[in-house]
Formats: sequence, structure tokens, C-alpha cells
Amino acid sequence: MFDYAMIPEIIPLGAILFNFLFILIAIPLEAYILNKRLKFDKRTSTFYAISINLLSNAIGWIVFFLLEPLLAIPLKSELISYIFFAHFLSTKIQMLMILTAFIIFFGTFLLKVLFLRLLLLSLTDFQKSEPASTSQRFNLRRSQKLKLQNTNLATTVLIANALSYSAIAMILFLIPKQL
Amino acid sequence: MQVLKDIFGLFNIFEDIYARIKKILVPPKAYSWQTLIYLSVFSLLMSWLSNGFVRDAIAFCGWLFLIAGTAWYTTDNPLLVPGTNMPVGALITGFLISTFAFRHQENIITTNTIVFWPTISALITAIPEFFEGTGTDVNPQIPKLEDRQKIIILIASSLVISCCLQFTFVVNKWYQEYPSLRLDKIPRTFVMKIVPSTKVPRNGIVILEKLELRIEQQILDRPWSEVEQWLLDAKQRVANLGRQVIETNLREYEEKSLWQVEPRIYNLKSGYKLDLLSIWTGPSLSGRGYYFQKSCRIDPIAKSTNDKSVIAEIDCGRISKPILGPPPSAQ
Repeated sequence: MFDYAMIPEIIPLGAILFNFLFILIAIPLEAYILNKRLKFDKRTSTFYAISINLLSNAIGWIVFFLLEPLLAIPLKSELISYIFFAHFLSTKIQMLMILTAFIIFFGTFLLKVLFLRLLLLSLTDFQKSEPASTSQRFNLRRSQKLKLQNTNLATTVLIANALSYSAIAMILFLIPKQL
Repeated sequence: MQVLKDIFGLFNIFEDIYARIKKILVPPKAYSWQTLIYLSVFSLLMSWLSNGFVRDAIAFCGWLFLIAGTAWYTTDNPLLVPGTNMPVGALITGFLISTFAFRHQENIITTNTIVFWPTISALITAIPEFFEGTGTDVNPQIPKLEDRQKIIILIASSLVISCCLQFTFVVNKWYQEYPSLRLDKIPRTFVMKIVPSTKVPRNGIVILEKLELRIEQQILDRPWSEVEQWLLDAKQRVANLGRQVIETNLREYEEKSLWQVEPRIYNLKSGYKLDLLSIWTGPSLSGRGYYFQKSCRIDPIAKSTNDKSVIAEIDCGRISKPILGPPPSAQ
């Protein structure tokens, strides 16, 4: 990064507020789904919802900052046109937008599942040790139960993600094109 | 009598203030935070007096002392940022560490400093949770269950704040690299101008000015037949000259590939009208771009009263204001 003016002439206040709005909408929706399907109590599911949303949001921003210098000039000028003037230059951009939307949706879904697993792991009590069991059938049942839990986790996060993204998409379509 | 008592009262206040300042500034024992701060001031002064490697080494130590001293002072009795569990001291220490880590030769504070400041402060808040015990006997531990949630949320939200700060700087970088955006009024959907722009962006104008010089070189005082030949091939020639002009003059701007140069030629009764257009194909408010136009007349004149050969004369007008929309199509 070269040395550019330190005093910002433009602040992306609208973009930051929209970001905050998306997070604010996603958190209660996802907390509700986590509570209903995975049977966490309200406080824990709120914590999980807040953390996975904030963390995946941060990772998303970081990916954006890594990709932005690599964009070709026509793509970059579309991006600049959207951020500054709230519309796109060419109509051919629709296909790319849909592709990007898919990638973003599934990317955040994978990130959220990953972070939820990590958080579940990090919040276990490390002092208590697992009871030792020797029965073969018990182990088999336990591994099946773990697999079912994993699938259940992924499905729940998928549903929660889909719900919050639908809410976000509805809001995005309500942005007036020319203020 | 009353006046004398008041004056003594004033003196008491000053003594009180002096005692307080003395309590802050004078270290109670050698092993305290004031020592570190004085050491750091001493090191920074010494670094001014020296040169080269010694200077860098002493300044480095000075920064370390300053950071350690501030960290010590602010963790004794933490004053929390309202609403969070982050002590104000962590903000200050985080700022110092950020400045130290990202300082530059020309500026002490760079954009990276501001961007990483919240994250570093959050990490500093989290680190004491990993150690139990106070004073000098500390053991590493995994933080307690209730604190883990708070730490994770603090770090995650400070990461998001850092990303928003970085986005501000990225948007400003775009604003500088693409000055021709300033021509339009920017709607307040996603971004907001806080410094009113004073200069009109001159990139499109500069292109036409320099282009005029080069075209004059190629047309002025040349034989008329050569000029007519030139005009037949004008689109290619003007595009090439335009590309050269853009590469030379707009070299440091990223928007240079969004400018295009085209000619428009109209036949007149005697001579031709050559319009030079510099077209902006980048983002604009209307979505259709804009262009600047310079109109030139090319007329045949006789070289002198004796010599009857015909040469060309070119006369260009002023550059127009920016015209919205795509330019008229060529015939």
C-alpha cells in the first residue's frame, strides 16, 4: 500500500451500516434455529449465533481485501460503480453476480459450520474426562450418534444460513436505486 | 483578614495539586511503571543524538519501554470501556503497539496502524486471561468458561471493526486512483463525502490538451494532400496518439485504461472540422459516461504570396464542459 492521504475524504458509512444491519438481522434468526433444532439453551445459542456471524463476516471481509487488488479493470470499475453510484455499468454483470452470490452463500455456510464446531469444542470443560467404556456396541452406538449429530449440525446451520440470507436478499432488493 | 484566608486557601489547592502530581510522577520504588516510562523518554532522547544502526537500536528499546510502562500502568486498576470488558488501558497499549509495529520512515502513523489497532487491543485484553495468579508468580491456564465467551465475542467484534476501517481506506484509495469519479455528485447510498471536493478532475482535459499539441505537429504546415491522406486514416492515428498521450500523462492513475480517444471528422465547404473526443467509459452517475470535446478547423492556405503550393492550417477551440452520455457515432 503506497502512502495515500491519511485523512479520509470519503467514508463508506452506508456500507458499514448495511453490514451491521445484516449481522443484526442474521443473529436472532440463527439463534432461534439453533435453539429450536439443536436444543441449546437461549443464552448459549445466542452466543453461538453472534460468534459465528461475526467471525464469518470478518473472514469474508478479509477475502474481499485479498481479492480486490487482483480484480481486472472492467470488473473493478463495476464494483466501484456499485459502491459509489449504487448501480452497475453493464447488464452482462448479472451472470457474474449470481455466481458470486452462490459462492458467498456456500462459503459462509462452510465457515459457519467450521466455526460452530470449533466453538463447541472450545466451550467443553477440559477438566472433566470422558468415562472410559469398553463395550463394542456402546462404541458403535456412540459413533453413530456422533455422526447423526454432525449431520444434524450441518443441516441446522444450512437452514439458519438460508433463512438469514433470504432476509438479507429481501432487504437488498428494497434499496432504492437512486436516492 | 478574609482576603488573607482566601489567599492561603488558594495556596493549599496548589499544594494539593503539586502533591498529586508528585505522587504520579515520582516512582515509589525502583520496580514500578514510572521507571519504565522515564527509561523510554531517555532512550528516545539518546536516539536523537546518535545515527545509523545505534539510533535504530536505541529507538527500538525506547518503544519497548514505553509499551511496557503503559501496559503496567493501565492494568493495575482497569477502567473499562463502557459496555464491554475491555480496559481503556488496552486501547492505549494497543495503539502504541500498533504504531510501533507499522511505523514507517516518513510517517509514524500509517493506515495499517489504525486498521490493526482494535484487533491488537482485543488480543491484549484477552492475554491476561490466559495466566492465573498475580505479581510475578504466574502460571499459564486455559481461561475459565464464562470468560471464554466474552473474550471470543470481543475478539470477533474487534476483527469486524478492523475490517470496516480497512474498507474505509480501500474506498479512499479508489477515490484517489479514479479522480474522474469526482465529476459526478455521489449519492449517499453507500458512501458519504466528508471533504467537499475543490478541484475539478482534469484528466480528460489534460488528454485533449496534450493531444492537440501532437496533432498540430503532424498537420500544421504540411502539404494539403498529405493532410487529406492523414484524415482518411484519422481514427487509427488519433487512437495511437491518444494512447501515447494517456500513457505519458496519466501514468500513475489506475483509471487510465478507462479513457478512450476518438476523432470525428466533418466535411466543410473548404477544409474539414476535426472534433477530438476524450471519452470516459468508467463509473458515472447516469451510467452512460461522459466526454470532453475539442473542435478544430483544418483549412488549406497558400504557403506565401509567391509560392502557390497549398499547406494546411489547423485552429482549435477550447475544450468543452463535460457532456453526458455517449458521444455521437462516427459516419
